[in-house]
Amino acid sequence: MSTVAIRNVHKSYGALPVIHCVSLDISDGEFVALVGPSGCGKSTLLRMIAGLEDITAGDIVIADRVVNDIAPKDRDIAMVFQNYALYPHMNVRQNMGFALRQRKISRDEIDRRVMNAARILGLEQLLDRKPRALSGGQRQRVAMGRAIVRNPNVFLFDEPLSNLDAKLRVQMRSELKELHQRLGVTTVYVTHDQIEAMTLADRVVVMNGGIVEQMGPPLELYDKPMSLFVAAFIGSPPMNFLEGSLNTPNALILDDGTEVALPAPVAGNGRTTIGVRPEHLFLTDAGWPAVVSVIEPTGSETQITARLGDYVIRVLIRGRTDVQPGETIHVSAKPADIHVFDTASGRRRETVTT
Amino acid sequence: MTSLALSGGTRKSRFWPRVRIAAGLLACVIFLFPVFWMVLSSFKAQRDIFTVPPTLFFTPTLQHYFEYMQRADISRRMINTIIVAAGSGIISIVAGGMAGYALARIRLRGAGTIGVLILLSRGVPPIALAVPMFLVARSLGVTDQHITLILAYCTFLIPYVMWLMRGFFLALPKELEESAMIDGCSRMGAFFKIIVPISMPGILSTLIFSMILAWEELLFALVLTNRYASTIPVAIAGIAGDTVNGANWGALTAVGTFTVLPVVVFALLVQKWLIQGLADGATKG
Repeated sequence: MSTVAIRNVHKSYGALPVIHCVSLDISDGEFVALVGPSGCGKSTLLRMIAGLEDITAGDIVIADRVVNDIAPKDRDIAMVFQNYALYPHMNVRQNMGFALRQRKISRDEIDRRVMNAARILGLEQLLDRKPRALSGGQRQRVAMGRAIVRNPNVFLFDEPLSNLDAKLRVQMRSELKELHQRLGVTTVYVTHDQIEAMTLADRVVVMNGGIVEQMGPPLELYDKPMSLFVAAFIGSPPMNFLEGSLNTPNALILDDGTEVALPAPVAGNGRTTIGVRPEHLFLTDAGWPAVVSVIEPTGSETQITARLGDYVIRVLIRGRTDVQPGETIHVSAKPADIHVFDTASGRRRETVTT
Repeated sequence: MTSLALSGGTRKSRFWPRVRIAAGLLACVIFLFPVFWMVLSSFKAQRDIFTVPPTLFFTPTLQHYFEYMQRADISRRMINTIIVAAGSGIISIVAGGMAGYALARIRLRGAGTIGVLILLSRGVPPIALAVPMFLVARSLGVTDQHITLILAYCTFLIPYVMWLMRGFFLALPKELEESAMIDGCSRMGAFFKIIVPISMPGILSTLIFSMILAWEELLFALVLTNRYASTIPVAIAGIAGDTVNGANWGALTAVGTFTVLPVVVFALLVQKWLIQGLADGATKG
């Protein structure tokens, strides 16, 4: 177990920069998720920690040792790949023991550690099978077992659940979380699935276009996104956005002339985007007018899709409703639940609390 | 109406596969007939070979096979051919396999160009190389040696193996080696402990393929050897080209059959290896 520090790391492929100056400190035993859309550099960053990619500039420090020029095998890390990368010619026992055999650990010790990992993951019955005779979920477990037996400084996960079906993914997700709580090994986890990142991690790092947009505990990102990108990326169903001009601090004029009264005055002026999460909108008598287009009840809650000016908004309410499509509803949100962004820069603007 | 159209469609869908199968069978017959004729003739007595019209019914004889074993050092030439085919096959699979891996995986400026250049060397007609090779071998004093022929064959086998193996390695997920490298292997270690074992079907079929190429090679063997290291194809050429006595068709077909036999067996082995998908289960399923 140990810390990981990423200091001013840059990465370019030839003239093409893919990571621009990323810094990140991961404390001992912490579970950090790197999340972002495809091509945001999250996998590249993970592979640089693993030593599979060179670092163009900056330092990566694992357990207080700069590892820039240290081979992957000497970094004392274990990695689980998206496609598992099990050795097809070895059975489960040999797959899990391979790293230990490379380190010339005694047979008894290898057997003991493989059995222990197999017990934790429920693989005891499968130890003599080849990977091709395993299901997707079992392969995924073997890949984790291979990492566990190592007892490494750091676990690296590269989208380990993406190849599983939805149900298994949720199950493996909680197993993974339980495993981390049990072993307490420092973990860096790459995913494009914000739900996975939110549910698993102590801290989420949102990346976009090779930079860190925002990092923080999952609920902090949810409650206080610092940019439009983070606001749109985190949360499901996604946040509603309305764009317009601020003529007075109290009202946003949408492009079609609809005036949206703001419950609290907003600082600054110019093009402004406000964002409200679907569950923070509520039906009221005097609010923003919207025409209902679709009602989707799920039992415990109901999602209403409606048109507000040129925008489609989603409203998520607890319980049920007798609102009908075509009806005009009025929605509003508490001042604290309205996120205000500068449209041009995408950065968050603070609301003025009077 | 609907049922009519349906039955028409069904008849059509049965008709074309049959035509394709028939065409395939016809092509097989055309290609296999000379081989069949050669094998058949090798069991005929000399007078039956030239019967007009050719006969399918005759008293089979092994006379040519016995004759062939005694004539012109054939058994030694057979051994030479085995040594040369195995030697050049093994050297080229080791060198070409490793080169193919490097081309497939190592990110190196100009690697692609190097690969293409090596492949382009295959474009040089062998006849243009045969004479210079003979001159080099003579000045080194190594004409008519097994090693000379083995090295000469490596010049065309290594590029061949390299490109075949490169394609094979490219098809393997690179995470396998990355995983091995994180698990404690060097790049070389990952190659030998992980990549080579799972590429065995490809390696073996490529090996057999290059051995077949070396087995049947005539030009270099003709130029670089004369007696001690000379191979079977040279013997066949000698029998066929005997202008003094006329070609001895009995001996020729017998030697030909004996030469083709291992190639056919090997080719069947290659097929078996190629079909076997050993890499299944490495990654997602």
